[in-house]
Amino acid sequence: MLEENAIEIRGMSKSFKVHKDKPKTLKEMITRRRGEAVENEVLKNISLDIKKGETVVLIGTNGAGKSTLLKLMTKILYPTSGTVTTDGKLTSLLELGAGFHPDFTGRENIYFNAAVFGMTRKEIESRIDQIIEFSELGSFIDEPVRTYSSGMYMRLAFSIAINVDADILLIDEILAVGDQHFQNKCFEKLEELRDSNTTVVIVSHSLESVKHLCTRAVWLYKGHLQLDGAPAYVISEYLKQSAIDNKEKAKELHSSGTMKTSGQIFSDHPRSFSDLSKKKTLECRGWSVCNGEDSVVEIWLDGKKLDKPFSIPREDVFEIYKEEYAGMIEPETIGWGLDVDLSNLEEGEHVLETVLRCDDQTVDRKKVRINVHD
Amino acid sequence: MIKLFKEIYQYRELLYTTIKKDIRGKYKGSVLGILWSFLNPLLQVFVYYLVFPYLMGNVIDNYLIYLITGLIPWTFFLTTVQGGTRAIKDNAGIIKKVYFPREILLISQVCSGLINFFISCVIILIFCIGAGVGISIHLLALPVVALVQAILILGLILILSAVEVYIQDLEYIVQFVLQMGFYATPVIYPLKVFSKAGLLLTLINLNPLTTLMNAYRGCFLYHTWPNWGALGAVLLLSLVILMIGFWVFGRLQRNFAEEL
Repeated sequence: MLEENAIEIRGMSKSFKVHKDKPKTLKEMITRRRGEAVENEVLKNISLDIKKGETVVLIGTNGAGKSTLLKLMTKILYPTSGTVTTDGKLTSLLELGAGFHPDFTGRENIYFNAAVFGMTRKEIESRIDQIIEFSELGSFIDEPVRTYSSGMYMRLAFSIAINVDADILLIDEILAVGDQHFQNKCFEKLEELRDSNTTVVIVSHSLESVKHLCTRAVWLYKGHLQLDGAPAYVISEYLKQSAIDNKEKAKELHSSGTMKTSGQIFSDHPRSFSDLSKKKTLECRGWSVCNGEDSVVEIWLDGKKLDKPFSIPREDVFEIYKEEYAGMIEPETIGWGLDVDLSNLEEGEHVLETVLRCDDQTVDRKKVRINVHD
Repeated sequence: MIKLFKEIYQYRELLYTTIKKDIRGKYKGSVLGILWSFLNPLLQVFVYYLVFPYLMGNVIDNYLIYLITGLIPWTFFLTTVQGGTRAIKDNAGIIKKVYFPREILLISQVCSGLINFFISCVIILIFCIGAGVGISIHLLALPVVALVQAILILGLILILSAVEVYIQDLEYIVQFVLQMGFYATPVIYPLKVFSKAGLLLTLINLNPLTTLMNAYRGCFLYHTWPNWGALGAVLLLSLVILMIGFWVFGRLQRNFAEEL
């Protein structure tokens, strides 16, 4: 192993045996015929060096093998062939709060959990104040963990894991912990770790945030190592490929007739149960995403179809869905709007309905009840 | 192997907290709590004490002490082997999520069993004094005997717990073998009951637990030193099983996360 490397992977493949019905008892093992297991190769011939001090993000679609690769690095799983070697104390945040005991207090659980990460009592004691402060639990730290809200639970777990003095930190899709304030804090901590000597490997789908956090991106595509380099470049290539894949898949499904169109429509304005004045024009605004081609938005008022809405650019919505609906949506046309004249309506309750249609099928619909008055 | 011990040493805090959880967590929710781990063998002692003399006639003096010095070490063996066999399976959740040297789960089983046993020994001593048997210098051999037993148990459960992950029947086979073992060890009867049994007696004498039982009774009841030769042989056997145990466990543990 080279001195400069924290993680070295050489010609590593991992396959899982998928049993249709796994024999678990002796009788089943003896009586059942062999050969029902299907080998499923999740990672194929991966070679990768991660240098000390690097902050690397692993990207790829679901099932590309990202989490499996992390588990191989922490030695929860072992490779089928090839090698994975690591140098330094390794901590993994694959699952927050592993080893928490609900009946013990937050403080006691810090000891348990930190012990699972291989810390000694002395190390824990020197760090416990820092952990409690980071978690912002205050006096709750001496209450049993079962009384915690799920947010508090996650905050405590994250605080422990991130304050463990690790040389290598592996994080699996857990950046979405707690409220915005706490998330920002976690990010700052991760930035701090990035600028220190710690090696960090992250699996994440929040591409925008990791783009700035990480110094390097590794893209796994169907178990292969597809691209490795600067985050901005790798992420944009990844999105391009996802767009192609999504389109192809949609076409394939469409031709085989099993295509299930899915999508969402959302109405920003008006909100349900709002009181609206007759004299003002009602500005309906919203957005929709759909994985089919030629989707249309219809707006109905009291069962009567209104004019065709116009498109509005919505960068913000596009950012959120660009991975999931890659190639299917455009930032310029994702939003919709329609100005409706209410002056001819009677006073009282009316129903405004927005419908997302694709290939003569209704994909999604939302009803909004509005109160119209003078 | 040396790497493994280094790692276990690094994770010593985990070992310590797991032992604490093993001892405290077991009887959580029951009113008498940890007292049950001592009460259980005691109640058993009284049951055998009431029934057995009718079955066998009065064959030994101080039968009460004879029973208690057999049943408490046997309980140590029984509970740790049973608990140890299930230790990996019962901790499936954490094994799939976090890496740590899995051997710790088994070492902690043996350690908590050993601690329980030493506390129970205080009860034995109280009975010894109460029954007029008294105590002697030979008690110094007690930790040695207990340690040999602990090594034997650790070796056994390293193998059993790892195989249990792949073949869950093992648990029930172990249960049956332990039941047989209870009668193949002079726990509730004296060896001389089988004096005319020939092959059966040879088998019982070959049972390493027989040597351990005799040694315990020497410490508490008969005030004699253990048969060092026999005890040494058991120690050697235990160390061999322990080595095989670490090797088998090391091999099988690679697929724990997938199999569980």
